[in-house]
Amino acid sequence: MSRARAALLVCALWCAGSLPAHAATAVDTPVDPLNSPSWQYMRQRFLGKDPMVFDARVQVQMPSAAEDQMQVPVHVSAPGLTDVVDVLVFADLNPLPKILRYQPTSAAPDIGFRFKVEQSTPVRAAMRTRDGVWHVGGAWLRASGGGCTAPSVGTGQGFWQDRLGEISARLWPQQPGLERLRLRMIHPMDTGLAAGIPVFHIDRIDMRASDGRLLASLQTYEPVSENPVISVDLQHSGPVRIDAHDIQGNRFAATVTP
Amino acid sequence: METIPRYRGAQRRSRNTVVGALSAIVLAAMSMSAQAGVTPDMISTDATTPSDVLTVGMGQSGQRYSSLSKINTQTVVDLVPAWTFSFGDEKQRGQETQPLIYNGKMFITGSYSRLWALDVKSGKKLWAYEHRLPDGIMPCCDVVNRGAALFDDLVIFSTLDAHLVALNQETGKVVWNEKLDDYKAGYSNTAAPLIVKNLIVTGVSGGEFGVVGRVDARDAKTGKLVWSRPTVEGHMGTLNGKDNGITGKTNASWEGDQYKSGGAATWLGCTYGADVDLIYCGTGNPSPWNAHTRPGDNLYSSSTLAIKADTGKIVWSYQSTPHDSWDFDGVNEFIPFDMKKDGKTIKAGAKADRNGFFYVLDRTNGKLLGASPFVSQQTWASGVDMKTGRPIETANRPGDPGKEDKGSSVFAAPSFLGGKNWMPMAYSQNTGLFYVPSNEWGMDIWNEPITYKKGAAFLGAGFTIKPLYEDHIGVLRAMDPATGKIVWEAKNGAPLWGGVMSTAGNLVFTGTPEGYLKAFDAKTGAELWKFQTGSGVVGQPVTWEQDGEQYVAVASGWGGAVPLWGGEVAKKVKDITQGGMLWVFKLHTSKANSVALK
Repeated sequence: MSRARAALLVCALWCAGSLPAHAATAVDTPVDPLNSPSWQYMRQRFLGKDPMVFDARVQVQMPSAAEDQMQVPVHVSAPGLTDVVDVLVFADLNPLPKILRYQPTSAAPDIGFRFKVEQSTPVRAAMRTRDGVWHVGGAWLRASGGGCTAPSVGTGQGFWQDRLGEISARLWPQQPGLERLRLRMIHPMDTGLAAGIPVFHIDRIDMRASDGRLLASLQTYEPVSENPVISVDLQHSGPVRIDAHDIQGNRFAATVTP
Repeated sequence: METIPRYRGAQRRSRNTVVGALSAIVLAAMSMSAQAGVTPDMISTDATTPSDVLTVGMGQSGQRYSSLSKINTQTVVDLVPAWTFSFGDEKQRGQETQPLIYNGKMFITGSYSRLWALDVKSGKKLWAYEHRLPDGIMPCCDVVNRGAALFDDLVIFSTLDAHLVALNQETGKVVWNEKLDDYKAGYSNTAAPLIVKNLIVTGVSGGEFGVVGRVDARDAKTGKLVWSRPTVEGHMGTLNGKDNGITGKTNASWEGDQYKSGGAATWLGCTYGADVDLIYCGTGNPSPWNAHTRPGDNLYSSSTLAIKADTGKIVWSYQSTPHDSWDFDGVNEFIPFDMKKDGKTIKAGAKADRNGFFYVLDRTNGKLLGASPFVSQQTWASGVDMKTGRPIETANRPGDPGKEDKGSSVFAAPSFLGGKNWMPMAYSQNTGLFYVPSNEWGMDIWNEPITYKKGAAFLGAGFTIKPLYEDHIGVLRAMDPATGKIVWEAKNGAPLWGGVMSTAGNLVFTGTPEGYLKAFDAKTGAELWKFQTGSGVVGQPVTWEQDGEQYVAVASGWGGAVPLWGGEVAKKVKDITQGGMLWVFKLHTSKANSVALK
């Protein structure tokens, strides 16, 4: 596989023909505007040798300090950036940095969610455009700590087992062909870092039109907050089918109408 | 570097067809190098392919016999540890599992619905799966698991919250997850699933909570239900989503609505007789324990059922304890074997029942061929009527409490933990003997009034358990199925609770709560080897061949029902420390010697 990938990468660079002038070469990494101690490692881990640029259009909006480490609200967007095919959100200094990945097939590259933070960290969004370049933006979040290693609230209260996978959702039509979807699912989203509690989280949420056409696909990881609340902007009118599953094979589905 | 989702590669390929074709070739080559997966044929011949262990029971019939003989009565003294693996964290408890070995990997389950894949040569952990259990699970008798099943590229095991989970053997990722039943109603699952053709067959646990037992067969590749056969008379079976006939005849052996919480849990799973295409499942106690509340034989509780694999219909049944008053249960494994008797070979099957009788039945039709005690005391019956197949009772049932708080108490042996409990016996094709891990204990038992409430214990009985002898409870016994005679026995202080294995090396392996894995001479019962594993051994040993050497493996980790229910027995086991460890052994070969030989 690695040989095949290398071939693909060489091709990707070569085929692209004229790379943007500010794009880095495969071995050079631009200076991190957030000055994170883990940036080099994050880049290698998540973006590999793919071309990348820091791009101010990619915005990560959130409070400057986490009021509740278990539920930090974040909104990721990229006004002015088009042709985004893949969105990756990660927090450099979280014990489990990767938060989510999102393919806005028929949607804006915007997503709102909440996540668990363990300590002060940069939170970044990397958006890959159709030309293969990752556009990276982010901000620092201050936090006093402990969000990832504490048991989920539902574990103590015991309600997750009765309501696992319950979906609440609503659609807000914005203008013709554009609607906002907000959904909440009941799930403990256990990180596996709290003593004696196995890792257990939703790992995929697909949003489809009633004819089955994929509108957007979301992969969620351990740091996404318990009972995830997700907001996306779909280029679509009409009902949306939600199909989701967790890492233990439990399947959840719902249809939401405007 | 992150794994790139497939669609991303596809996008790039679409932009350059030359490289697209190249990577397609690489991918094709990769998938060809992978093993084709475990086929139904491989499952059916597992007992005769010693380089792998694809089934719990070392073959669908569950004989637990290996044709390997490099480790034998002469060489076993040189058996030493090769590698070990710790199950980790605080979730120790009973480790009743059996390892499976395939394609360079060992798959092993543990307490609290955990599963690991290990590199079979080094013991290195390849991946782990830990099932997220709700707090409300209700396993009656410890949080054990008794092993997984392999099918195609899947490893499949059942969980304490009554799910069946299939994982990819390479990655440990969940492929499918099917709910067997509602854990809140008392259902759980601890037995190893059985693969028959393309089906995965499971039972249910929960006989102490008034569940209705049944056997389910699913498509092993997808988890989709194919048929379901309730084990309590009066309940409708299904086949491909349609009604498939009622089990037995409604109210023939139950009164009123009592069959609706009738028990007969199939908590130990099933075995398979490929030559007669019958799935054999033992059924548990009728619910509640208080028999005065449920007049009749209470079919098909405390029985062995033979079910046709393709139709899900019961072909024959044999009830060992009609109208069970003692929680003798009848769940013990029925092991098909070919019995040599009077110069003839008989298609037989044997079962060492909790009630203390060793039964031999004709596996084609369930006809009783023999029933003899494999324990020293049976207070409840003096024998089995060979004509009717029914026990000859001795008026040893606990009294009816009527409107009182408590009925008259009786002393009964065996105890409700059984002459033999869950721990599987082994059959040796070499000696023609069965090796039965038995226990010598009795109980005071009395009945109490009881009414059914969903998810609540449904017993209506009280009990205390008592060892029959000062110096021992456990006895490993060699039984001759043709004569019903005990050929040899080896006593053990604490109750035996681990599985047994026999080999062509004329050895019988089993573990003890005192922490030993032991090897006995299959013909004489002489103890030839033992190794202290550090915690009680209640697992099921296996053996296989790899790189020309024979290996033996067993899980160590004390637990199971004994420490939970133990009564006076607790004295013998209360100081045993817990654990959670896999031990792998092979014959010691001197390095110096091998250098000299070169």
